Amino acid sequence: MATLIAPTLPKRNRPKRNRPNGALKPARGIRSPLGGPGINLLYVPALLLFAVFTIYPLLNGIALSFTNWNGYSLERAGVGFDNYVRLFQDDTFRLVLVNTFIYGIGSTIIQQILGLGLALALDRRMRGLNAARAIIYLPVLVSPVVMGTMYYLLFQYNNGAFNDIVTGLGGEKVAWLANADASIAIIVAVNSLQFVGISMIIYLAGLQSIPQMYYEASTVDGASPVQQFRYISLPLLQPAFATSIVLNLIGGLKLFDVIQVLTGGGPGYATNSVSTLIGVAYFDNQSAGYASGMGVVLFLIIVVFTLALNTLLNRRRLEQQ
Amino acid sequence: MKSRVLLLAAASVAAAALLVSASGCSAGSGSDSGSIEFQTFASVDSKLMSTIEEVTARFEEENPDIDLKLVASSNNYEADIKVRLASGNIPDIFGTHGWSLQRYSEFLEPLQDEPWAKNFNPVLDSAMKNDTGEFFAFPVDTDVAGIIYNGDVLDAAGVDPAEITTWEAFEKAADAVKANGITPISVSGKAGGPSGNIADWLAAGAYDESQLAELEAGTFVDEPYSEVLTKIADWREAEYFNPDYSSATSDDMTRALSDGQAAFEFSQNSRVNDALQYNPDANIGFMPVPSMTTDAPYLIGGEMNAYGISKTSKHLEDAKTFIAFLAEPENATALAEAAGNLPGMTNATADLGPLQESFDTYVGSGEYPLMPYFDRVYLPNGMWNTMVTTADSVITGQSDVDQAVGQMASDFKSLAAQDK
Repeated sequence: MATLIAPTLPKRNRPKRNRPNGALKPARGIRSPLGGPGINLLYVPALLLFAVFTIYPLLNGIALSFTNWNGYSLERAGVGFDNYVRLFQDDTFRLVLVNTFIYGIGSTIIQQILGLGLALALDRRMRGLNAARAIIYLPVLVSPVVMGTMYYLLFQYNNGAFNDIVTGLGGEKVAWLANADASIAIIVAVNSLQFVGISMIIYLAGLQSIPQMYYEASTVDGASPVQQFRYISLPLLQPAFATSIVLNLIGGLKLFDVIQVLTGGGPGYATNSVSTLIGVAYFDNQSAGYASGMGVVLFLIIVVFTLALNTLLNRRRLEQQ
Repeated sequence: MKSRVLLLAAASVAAAALLVSASGCSAGSGSDSGSIEFQTFASVDSKLMSTIEEVTARFEEENPDIDLKLVASSNNYEADIKVRLASGNIPDIFGTHGWSLQRYSEFLEPLQDEPWAKNFNPVLDSAMKNDTGEFFAFPVDTDVAGIIYNGDVLDAAGVDPAEITTWEAFEKAADAVKANGITPISVSGKAGGPSGNIADWLAAGAYDESQLAELEAGTFVDEPYSEVLTKIADWREAEYFNPDYSSATSDDMTRALSDGQAAFEFSQNSRVNDALQYNPDANIGFMPVPSMTTDAPYLIGGEMNAYGISKTSKHLEDAKTFIAFLAEPENATALAEAAGNLPGMTNATADLGPLQESFDTYVGSGEYPLMPYFDRVYLPNGMWNTMVTTADSVITGQSDVDQAVGQMASDFKSLAAQDK
């Protein structure tokens, strides 16, 4: 998960942490295990887990991307940068890369607009407020596979709810998932609607951390609600924007489950994301080395996007401060 | 302080590396427990699975010292097995789903010297034996497939399946079926396989001997494959495929065939058992596949349900004893009947129910050659998915024929290079 970079003072300008007069020095026996160097031992379990489940697979994946391993055989050979050269000559990978950006950026834009709108609508005293917030957040708790299956049942040709409505209104059944563009739009919509609750919660927290006195003072000065939103809420929501955008973007770029359940990447390769294509290349095409190369490229894309966004959004926040 | 933290971090990473490598060592091949793990490649509610359970129960009664743990197939059987192989945690016995020779032989115990091997059906030699006569799995059945049809639908359209010996005749029959408001060809786009079957069935009769030799030598010959995909594109234009293709599951296509909502299906005969579960009265049969290059229709065949033993199994001898039990005529017959196909052993017989007539007509007569699955023999490992995807993209109109053939050629080249 990305973290925001907070501005820090140069070391020489930092205030010294003086113990107040009369304050007791912690007893040695207590300080040693918890306050002294011994406290570092508490990092060990987390570092171990991080090393086993993140660092090792990452390094192993990078190493695999330089081999021709088929994913199960006892034999593999080094192929240098061949997998990366193949990636950049592969039309399917280019198509899928574009899809991945559509899923990432499209979902992020929709989630910011809807999430902020919902947060503004629910940032007030009203009856049923908690229920409304819970209902909007609830889909986040549902597995994307379950969510995808529910939407599949809505969009399927025979017995699908949407086609029942269409035929009920006298129209012809539509093969919603047979068209690549329509399928991509459906996937973006399903992903956005499922996770809009996360954006809503982040913006809601951001709105509630803005001191009320700013709004009161601006009301006295005659500011309209739109002006209050433009000149108070928006600037002070910058940290919330940064968090929400980065989280949604990473989720969208890594999108897998919904695609797998709704379209299986089809028709053809047309709705695959890089994540689903990695699965296809690894297990179906038996090109684990090539799939690992795709994984490394996806990792780099996410790192670059996250760093660029963090830098951009933090710079804007500092400028406004 | 900083160096201490760095030291701790380094120690943690080293410990993690040790942990991972140690876990790699402990993941020895085969089951460490007293049970023999048997990955059956049979779905949990299938007739084959229940027959395996019955036969295994009898085996365990006769051999109380041997315990078997049966595992039904998941939807991702192939990926599951590959992960198990890659991790070194190989099941003691597993279903090889058509790939005992080309894909899994490096992991399997050769079985040609077992007492029951003398009854190995020679029809399977080309599909399951290597150049030195070794084979690596006990064959439950001999996969013989053609085009499955619903006889009542064809009757209603005035079509005699025995007269469909050319693609022109097939298309004429499809037009007659369509005129009755019935879908000519039922196929699932969601299942990720049935569209590839169509290409596989057609391709088996699209290449001549010299072109097949070129494929085997590692060069993709695109003209015949272009004809295969052009045929599929023509059928799309003629609206032969079910309109719910993209969202239809394999169950949907089988149900359509059994309920008389579709006339033809390009599938293995095991589908017929599934169809009869939906409608026990369905009049289902199969017919040979017309050729694109000659006037002689053919059948598709090879290995289907077969069980190999991991050569590193800790229960190697017990596993061989179990396989020998499965190979006994009574058990081999029961398993082949449950699979809905001809037995893989010559000393077994099988009552194939509604398919018996088709088997007698087309297989028993010996007039129709048994062609191997095109992708297994003539394409590099891993091309099956490309066959499925390119056929799918042509059926949906997502790609034109040239683009789809280009994709095939490109993946063929990459995967052939990887196989070297």
